[in-house]
Amino acid sequence: MNAPIFALAPVLPEIIVSLGALGLILLGALRGETAAWLVAELAVAILGVAIIVVLRHPDTTGADFSGSFIDDAFGRYMKVLSLIGALVALLLSLDFTAREKFASFEYPILILLSTIGMMLMASANDLIALYMGLELSSLALYVIAAIKRDDVKSSEAGLKYFVLGALSSGMLLYGASLIYGFSGTVSFNGIAHAIHGQVSIGVIFGLVFMMAGMAFKISAVPFHMWTPDVYEGAPTPVTAFFASAPKMAAVAMMVRILSTAFPGIVTQWQQIVGFLAILSMLLGAFAAIGQTNIKRLMAYSSIGHMGFALVGLAAGTQIGVQGVLIYMTIYLLMTLGTFAAIISMRRNGQMVETIADLAGLSKTNGKMAFFLAMMMFSLAGIPPLAGFFGKFYVIGAAMEAHLYTLSTIAVLASVVSAFYYLRIVKIMYLDDSVGAFDKPYWVVDWALVLSGIFVLAFWVYPSPIIIGAMAAAKSLF
Amino acid sequence: MNIVTGFFYLFSTVLIASAVMVISARNPVHSVLFLILAFVNAAGLFLLLGAEFLAMILVIVYVGAVAVLFLFVVMMLDVDFAELKQGFLQYLPVGALIGIAVLVELVFVLGTWFQAPGELITRASAVKPGVSNTQALGQVLYTQYVYFFEISGLILLTAMIGAIVLTLRHKVGVKRQDIAQQVARTKETAMEVKKVPSRVGV
Amino acid sequence: MIPLEHYLTVAAILFTLGVAGIFLNRKNVIIIMMSVELILLAVNINLVAFSSFFGDLTGQVFALFILTVAAAEAAIGLAILVTYYRNRGSIAVEDINMMKG
Repeated sequence: MNAPIFALAPVLPEIIVSLGALGLILLGALRGETAAWLVAELAVAILGVAIIVVLRHPDTTGADFSGSFIDDAFGRYMKVLSLIGALVALLLSLDFTAREKFASFEYPILILLSTIGMMLMASANDLIALYMGLELSSLALYVIAAIKRDDVKSSEAGLKYFVLGALSSGMLLYGASLIYGFSGTVSFNGIAHAIHGQVSIGVIFGLVFMMAGMAFKISAVPFHMWTPDVYEGAPTPVTAFFASAPKMAAVAMMVRILSTAFPGIVTQWQQIVGFLAILSMLLGAFAAIGQTNIKRLMAYSSIGHMGFALVGLAAGTQIGVQGVLIYMTIYLLMTLGTFAAIISMRRNGQMVETIADLAGLSKTNGKMAFFLAMMMFSLAGIPPLAGFFGKFYVIGAAMEAHLYTLSTIAVLASVVSAFYYLRIVKIMYLDDSVGAFDKPYWVVDWALVLSGIFVLAFWVYPSPIIIGAMAAAKSLF
Repeated sequence: MNIVTGFFYLFSTVLIASAVMVISARNPVHSVLFLILAFVNAAGLFLLLGAEFLAMILVIVYVGAVAVLFLFVVMMLDVDFAELKQGFLQYLPVGALIGIAVLVELVFVLGTWFQAPGELITRASAVKPGVSNTQALGQVLYTQYVYFFEISGLILLTAMIGAIVLTLRHKVGVKRQDIAQQVARTKETAMEVKKVPSRVGV
Repeated sequence: MIPLEHYLTVAAILFTLGVAGIFLNRKNVIIIMMSVELILLAVNINLVAFSSFFGDLTGQVFALFILTVAAAEAAIGLAILVTYYRNRGSIAVEDINMMKG
């Protein structure tokens, strides 16, 4: 007997998260604010179930909803990354929200809704699906940035993020409308078919507008202005979420649209991506040097890292995409680990977030200092830590595509940025202590330790990630 | 010049003029009103293009809901608008220059549009002759495009939760009706029989 | 029949005005939000014009969903603005400067 064929099977993870979010809304509405902790734990469970469902999915490619939704190895890989980002960010915020008194049951629900948007972005196979997924995730993110509504900085972060985000979606849409007009279709495969051979200038213009909108979402220079302010203003676990999950989805959508809809004009978009990559890496390396606030520093660091990920994309090859995927995986775990450490920076019940507050950490909390130092070494790309391998794969792909200038600048930017990462290690180990931090919540502690072990031991057994990324990249070409 | 062309130029002129007024009016209330005028004229353009359903939706959703929401917020935030408009002109020359440059480029690019040969256009949902625009949209909206319909449901849910979580405040000390409490009243909790001794009072 | 280019030009002018409105306006956040609405209107005119000239409903469906999302976006934007106003007592763009660097 054949197994029954469920038409909606490819969308199962999205359906699970959506129904879970709806159920949690009911629970929250019935139980009131007292349910905040329970709702957050259940949201973590829902995300965990979704990760398992995506991972256990058979290795096939299936499309749904007249081809608007595609379920392939690439989409699943990026979905797992987004889900992990959301899950860990939610775990990191469990204790924090209660302490900082903005615990509301809506917060985990908004994270779930935003995550659904990200999953749809990773699977979007036409312009409408891309836009709808993007807006679902962004609208929830705007609210999450301003969730601490009595805090001036948080609401200012939300307002800035909203205004610039709305402008960038407007640009993206204008580009999408031009692409529809000049190619006659919204489906990625149809666009690739329509612009095969002859390229009209309208399509290129549309692509430029769309790239501007997408560059905003991954905060690549020159569309990065919002990043430092939003990272600083939003509550720290929210910043951890912003730095992890949405970046994965935005990179997924950028990689998919460029490699499936525009393989015909690869030389044109290679230049744009390379330009964005160079500017992002340089700004990330130089602007971070003078920062005193560690959240702002991480903002510039993430701008730089997005630049490196774009180096792999600029290669325009399957190996390049594989490099991007490996880079994003390693970046995700490094970022989550570093933010776990930042969330632990609490002295006498107050959050502190300047780099000077880390002084002498090795004397008061040797374990945290050690793992945070490992994170910094890895972010700087020092072998044999994981961060080195990420850079190795993207720069290798760029070299193979004969992008020597881009690769050279990437190496230089990496050397410059090592300076400010190592400065933090120096402050932690060599400066005089300014007092111990409070004991962190055990989940936060474990998140730091586990990601530290990942970063340290990646070179021992990297094959699951590399093979997964290879299969994912292959499904796009 | 036939009547359609006349209406096209009427609608587009008023549309652009009111868009200019939206970004330059001194009083935000006027800006909102010009925004409404712009939307109504855009709806007129949609009618000329045969998209009658979208024209009506534009009027209902934008004029009826979004613009009123804007108006509501403008009125609610008690801001001194006189000082808000100062300094607008200082950026105008350079801004206008860049704007015109971008516009010329755009128009130049758009001028290269050509009607692609029929077989190149992949009509995902072709317009059927003899079917009204509203009916045709209805036929594809809940079938071919049901995916987007479902996502827009989630988006509206997000907007609802977001607006509530950001702005709803429960003031303490305000008397509210608690229907559950009212319904739960029984004879025992509502009434008390007191024996009043004579010539003493309650 | 009016040529398609005329509709596209109207949309391009509207789009430029919207973008200019965002960058020129240094004072009032509400005007910026209205400029965003103008940009989305320009996109919708583009899509409906293309859709009508192709004889393909996809563009109109796209425009329909943009309208829906834009309404949700306006609601969230104004909610954030109200929160901000409650904290700062101002909606001037130049006051949005708590964080610098």
